[in-house]
Amino acid sequence: MKVRDRWDDLEAVDGAALFVAHDEPQALRDVLLGDELDAAGLPFPVLVDRSREAYARWGCGRIAWWRLWLDPNVWKQYWSLLGRGMSIRGAGGDTLQLGGDFIVAPDGSLAYSRPQQRDDRPAVGELIDRMHEVAAPARN
Amino acid sequence: MPPTPRPGDPAPQLDLPTLTDDRASLRDLRGRPVLVSFLRHAG
Repeated sequence: MKVRDRWDDLEAVDGAALFVAHDEPQALRDVLLGDELDAAGLPFPVLVDRSREAYARWGCGRIAWWRLWLDPNVWKQYWSLLGRGMSIRGAGGDTLQLGGDFIVAPDGSLAYSRPQQRDDRPAVGELIDRMHEVAAPARN
Repeated sequence: MPPTPRPGDPAPQLDLPTLTDDRASLRDLRGRPVLVSFLRHAG
């Protein structure tokens, strides 16, 4: 989670973060967090949406399997994992489920909406910049 | 599936259990900018 590495930038604007996952909780602890830290050590909560109702409400759909396997970014990530000696472990969840990134303004409105269409997550730097833009009017 | 929420729309509701067996709600963070990130899958 690269946001964790930029946490100071979020705190600078009194920002908060909520991460949402749909996998089974124990698999999330094993795969997502690994051995380096436990969930209580994260600076933000990881919410669990097993039914994926929140995913649907926020516009995060599923990708067709053939589009997933034709995406070079997917292969790049898998090769990168293998190159670092890591195995490709599934968390038992739906690998076709897409995610998305959103920024909510202090007044509760949506300031940024970027549901994934494929493996196209925005850079963390872009999200941090948007957070600063959203926070600026509230601070003036 | 409902339409994708767009900038300017009210943020959809988000209130779920957490990995630490707690509960977290977007509503409780009103007044602060919040990054909401839906993960694709963990493995």
